Amino acid sequence: MAETNKVLDVAGVSKRFGANEVLSDVSLQVDKGETVCVLGPSGSGKSTLLRCINWLERPDAGQIYLNGERVGINNAGIVMGDRDLSKIRTRIGMVFQHFALWPHLTVLQNLMEAPVQVQRRPKAEVRDEALALLAKVGLSEKCDAFPARLSGGQKQRVGVARALAMRPDLLLFDEPTSALDPELVGEVLVVMRELAHEGMTMVIVTHEMAFARDAATRVLFLDRGKAVETGSPEKFFSNPETERARQFIQRYAGDVAGGRR
Amino acid sequence: MIHDFGIVWSERSLLLSGLANTAILSALSAIAALLLGFLVTPALMSKRPAIFGLARLFVDGMRCVPFLLFAYIIYYGLPSLGLRLDNWSSGLAALIIYNTAYMAEILRGAWAVQPREPIEAGIAFGFSELKLFRRIILPPLLLSAGPVIGNQMIQIVKDSAFLTIIALPELTHAASSIQSRHYIPFAAFITAVFLYWGLCLVIEAGISSIGRVAEARR
Amino acid sequence: MSAADIAAIFQGAIVTITLSAIGILIGLPIGLGLALIRWADVPVLGRIVALYVSMLRATPLVTLLLLLFFALPNIGVPMSPVSAAILGLVMSTSAFNCEVWRSALMNFPKDQYEAAQSVGMNAGQRFRRIVLPQIVPVSLPGLVNEMSLLIKVTPVLAVVGVVDITRAAVRIGAQTYEPLPPFLVAIAIYVPIVFALVSLQRWIERRQTRAEALA
Ligand SMILES: Nc1ncnc2c1ncn2[C@@H]1O[C@H](COP(=O)(O)OP(=O)(O)OP(=O)(O)O)[C@@H](O)[C@H]1O
Ligand SMILES: [Mg+2]
Repeated sequence: MAETNKVLDVAGVSKRFGANEVLSDVSLQVDKGETVCVLGPSGSGKSTLLRCINWLERPDAGQIYLNGERVGINNAGIVMGDRDLSKIRTRIGMVFQHFALWPHLTVLQNLMEAPVQVQRRPKAEVRDEALALLAKVGLSEKCDAFPARLSGGQKQRVGVARALAMRPDLLLFDEPTSALDPELVGEVLVVMRELAHEGMTMVIVTHEMAFARDAATRVLFLDRGKAVETGSPEKFFSNPETERARQFIQRYAGDVAGGRR
Repeated sequence: MIHDFGIVWSERSLLLSGLANTAILSALSAIAALLLGFLVTPALMSKRPAIFGLARLFVDGMRCVPFLLFAYIIYYGLPSLGLRLDNWSSGLAALIIYNTAYMAEILRGAWAVQPREPIEAGIAFGFSELKLFRRIILPPLLLSAGPVIGNQMIQIVKDSAFLTIIALPELTHAASSIQSRHYIPFAAFITAVFLYWGLCLVIEAGISSIGRVAEARR
Repeated sequence: MSAADIAAIFQGAIVTITLSAIGILIGLPIGLGLALIRWADVPVLGRIVALYVSMLRATPLVTLLLLLFFALPNIGVPMSPVSAAILGLVMSTSAFNCEVWRSALMNFPKDQYEAAQSVGMNAGQRFRRIVLPQIVPVSLPGLVNEMSLLIKVTPVLAVVGVVDITRAAVRIGAQTYEPLPPFLVAIAIYVPIVFALVSLQRWIERRQTRAEALA
């Protein structure tokens, strides 16, 4: 834990649902400012890995460290209570496949809810910051709208802004564009690219191969719960080490060649 | 006929206190039943067969028992088991217990159709326990269940009229007293009917304003 | 509580069931008639029906029964407990049925109606041959639900002196100074009846969703 640079350290995490081993001995280190794209076929455990990182799912084995601090298990070696877990979770932002905005709150309230209620930061400050974030994702004029009145792309940009409003050390994305109509995917990817440029530390589960190829600093390929390959996107896409990865890339070859679907 | 309504007018304080009692009785039992419903609902969804079975039995049982008989049991029946309640306590207890079953079922239905992801987002953003429930789970739940809860409140108002048979001084009881005192049945009871109608229109107005709030968020 | 007492309660049950059946059978077509008046937007009459329905839905059956039983004789309409009971049940249940029928009518696809018009059916034929066969299944769960609600309010008929289940039970309780057993017998009669109706409603709904899923 000497490296101050390492934001996330997933060490040998395993998780099973009943007899189904969904993650087996998965490790992943993410340095500050890195954008790691997690790729893999459906059911390979990508979502489960993300959910283990912030303990929405409790791993069966292995450790997770955020900035050197153990997630989920306290100093005494026992499972954290809700209060400690919630404190750690506020430092990990999450963006959901189906947006998961809170339907009863306006866009601005969605951004302010957790910083004010959970982090207990001053309302005025949170509000200014939230407005700035909405401007950044291009949704200033929607701040008083309810989520139900937004398009999918707008919802997801709110989802990203909501996660940023927590000033997280790490952002997790679970297929942030796969519930969107194809013509709306771009507007979300633009925002994510910008964050990558700014040096936000991110772990992104995605099927957008073109995005992974040119925005990721590293890719992790999961297959049947195992971390099969990890490395630079250039190497992974042009010269994968394993047969499974080669097949996977071939399936999505059109994506890489043609930019986006 | 005009004369009859004049008599009703002269007895207005009796009628208004009946109306007030009906409103208080209904409001108290609606609130209490809703709160208790929140306790029974998790039992209705429990994976433990004993807990689930007991909760189901209670809810389905209450839904098959006529309210009047249930009130009779509480008022006349419980004393033979050594539990004697006055008419207010037994009326209130009957309304609350009976409607807890209905509220629990309403909440279960609303809960079952709530999307899971926003709640999960709440957890991921650090909400926990009471705060998660109060700020993330409860508001959309109440918005979606609001209209049905409102309809149940109308049902409670109407059920409360049955309590006239245990001499609880609610609206119908007040109208009965006026009728027996002055022998003006039409004026006395039709006035009561209009007051019930007014009360229900108020509740309906509440329902539709909840409906509008929910519509904007759907 | 003697065997004769239990027999008396069952005798009351026959009265309760008969009155409920009469109320349901008369209330169904009247509810449909009221719904049609509202659906067709008959001037004035439509408004009156709307007010009638709104008012009756808000009126507790006890209050309605007391009104009918005591006030109608005053204006020269003789009222026995049984006739007050039937009138009260019909008035109240028809108001609720009207809403069930009406919502089915409101959701009836307009183009079908126009198609029937275009092939030259007259109003009566359109209603009997096109509309009615389709709104009956849609309304059925709501109507059965209303039936179970009606059964559940029948104990109140005892208030105007009908010797039904409840009055029989009250009487026995007063004679024996043991009110609990007769009430439990009364409940034991009600529960299976209401439960049967509730199950019927669920069964219809399930069958219909399955049919929809197949279609
Ligand atoms: N709560 C759960 N209970 C039981 N099994 C689960 C649960 N969550 C996930 N699984 C199983 O774990 C496996 C991996 O699921 P996961 O959602 O992590 O896959 P994924 O890689 O995200 O797939 P996708 O690309 O389809 O989102 C699947 O077989 C899934 O059925
Ligand atoms: Mg997934």
